[in-house]
Amino acid sequence: MVVVRRAAARVGVPRSILHYEFDGAIARFLEALGIDVVLSPPTNREIFLAGKHVVIDELCFPIKIFVGHVAYLATLNVDRIVVPVVVGHVNDRVFPCHPRCRLADIVRALGLCDETRLLSPAFRFDAGGLCAEGFHELARSLDFSEKESHRALPTPQTRDSRPVVPSAPHAGPSVGIVGRPYVVKDAWANNHLAQRLESLGCRVLTEDGVQPIGYSPEGTGLHFDLAARTLVLAGLWDRDPEIAGIVFLLPFNCGPDGDIARHLQRTVDTPMLTLVLDELQSSAGLVTRLEAFVDLLEREPVATRGRSR
Amino acid sequence: MNHFTFSWGSNYIAVRGLLRALGHELATPPRIGPAIAERGTELAHPFLCFSGKLVLGQLAAQLERGDRRLAFMSSLGPEACRCADTSDYLRSLFADCDGFTAHRIGGGGFGDALSNLRSHFGFRVRRRDCFRAYAVFFGKVDLLHKVDKRCTALRCLSSTPERVRELEREALDLVDRSAGPFALWRTSRWFDREAAGLPLRPEPPSLRIGVVGGEHILSELDSIMAVVKGVAERGILLDWRSGFRLLARTSEERLAPLKEKCRPYLHSAPSTSEIFSCAHATDFIDEGYDGILHVYAFGCMPQTALKPVLQRVAQDASVPLLSLSIGDRFAEEGLENRLEAFIDLLEARKSKGATK
Repeated sequence: MVVVRRAAARVGVPRSILHYEFDGAIARFLEALGIDVVLSPPTNREIFLAGKHVVIDELCFPIKIFVGHVAYLATLNVDRIVVPVVVGHVNDRVFPCHPRCRLADIVRALGLCDETRLLSPAFRFDAGGLCAEGFHELARSLDFSEKESHRALPTPQTRDSRPVVPSAPHAGPSVGIVGRPYVVKDAWANNHLAQRLESLGCRVLTEDGVQPIGYSPEGTGLHFDLAARTLVLAGLWDRDPEIAGIVFLLPFNCGPDGDIARHLQRTVDTPMLTLVLDELQSSAGLVTRLEAFVDLLEREPVATRGRSR
Repeated sequence: MNHFTFSWGSNYIAVRGLLRALGHELATPPRIGPAIAERGTELAHPFLCFSGKLVLGQLAAQLERGDRRLAFMSSLGPEACRCADTSDYLRSLFADCDGFTAHRIGGGGFGDALSNLRSHFGFRVRRRDCFRAYAVFFGKVDLLHKVDKRCTALRCLSSTPERVRELEREALDLVDRSAGPFALWRTSRWFDREAAGLPLRPEPPSLRIGVVGGEHILSELDSIMAVVKGVAERGILLDWRSGFRLLARTSEERLAPLKEKCRPYLHSAPSTSEIFSCAHATDFIDEGYDGILHVYAFGCMPQTALKPVLQRVAQDASVPLLSLSIGDRFAEEGLENRLEAFIDLLEARKSKGATK
């Protein structure tokens, strides 16, 4: 049994999936409690391989990356590692996909480290992000009082109040990237897509460049939270005359995004490129596809295209 | 015009019972086979689970023969997977098909179910019609489950497996024709009598294998599960406790003891399929089964997430586990080979006294 001395506690947080999905809220909360937070480094090939070697092939690409981050943290001198359980929306109508729900169970079953080192508070989320109960559970498991936990809580303003990031000056077309936050924001996972598009002269927009669309937009009627967000964001950009093209990042074997891929192709008028991300990433193939896509956007400017929405 | 639906195994019989109780008819869905799987694979996104592809193949085949009014049972609760998004997905997929309508029947409770029936059949559906239709539906679900389980056990225990197959066919036909709760009760009594009258083998089963996995694949009868259940005729007792019946009757009260059973392996996250599979696997281990067979569709999110957990469950108990992922390119020969190898391993372990 690992004994955590509060003052000296070092807690590892995987820089993957939930970290990107909820804008680092868990790491910020732990820091506010005075914990020494060890964030795993940005994904790299070694981290990915550490996950790939222990996870079954059929699980999706992001889960392999996540497990790699946990495996990395397990080798460090950290007392505990946070692998939360994400339960779903408070309205019980919108849910995370099953592998994301089961992250903690997968990590525990793989035996990457002593089970007592794992911290797995259960989080629900609402329109603004993660709800307070999960943070309190996390604080309690580290022996902090309710009062201390309340003080450290991310405020509603910081739960989902990223500043809107203005994009760099550009000469070429504006391209919006849609997909799961943990593949859009993880440069290794998406093979440095934003950088590559910018080098082709594009203005690149991600979810960070628009007003927050909230968690689990319910108007879509979809069951899975992030697929719903992708649908809403794609719709937003489809109606935006400034956006010349949309790139949809689809991680290998992602069920919910696979389900909406064809729906997006049918309903979005803006030229859309779907990139399937997997472990066999070929930069050469990707660059060729991006060049062809940007070429198409430049030949067919936004003004000349018919938009039905 | 007839309604049509997709079917996990024989559950269309229960859906047909519900529709008949309301004065409507349901077409018999085509049998699952390579042509259906091929058609579904053409239509679906590659990441859709194999069960989903079978559904799409079955629907496409029925649309091609002229059926237009789809009525289907699916869940919207935390236990749901892609089926929760089915209506819109199907409407967009078959948008080019003139006159195609897709309606979900069923619901989380009586009010929800009544409202869904009315959205499909209009407000002439009264509360008592809904009540009677669901009484027939659940009665048939229970009886179909009983027939399926008892007949699989009898294929191992009886000395006349061909008579068991015949009994199963007759029973399914009778369940289909039973129009109300009383007729179902009589069918159930008849089945019990017939099953009890079958001659038994003198020797006990050589092995006992517990089957867990995706409810949809477990309920499929025509190809994959036909091969798996064929194992029973070699004198091996197959048991499974999941299936359409459990899904149709899911409630928090029923899930609570199963969740408790899974606590060492699963946190309390929403979903049902993983809980059923994990709890039943631990039950089989506790009851001294020789091995666990995990059957699931490639791309099935709940069962894929569960696979490492089941591996851990089996490892902790030192019980052999075979996970069979059934995908687009499955071949029955390959499936038989893997099952034979697994059975050889279990027999070798048993002969060495490694199992209880």
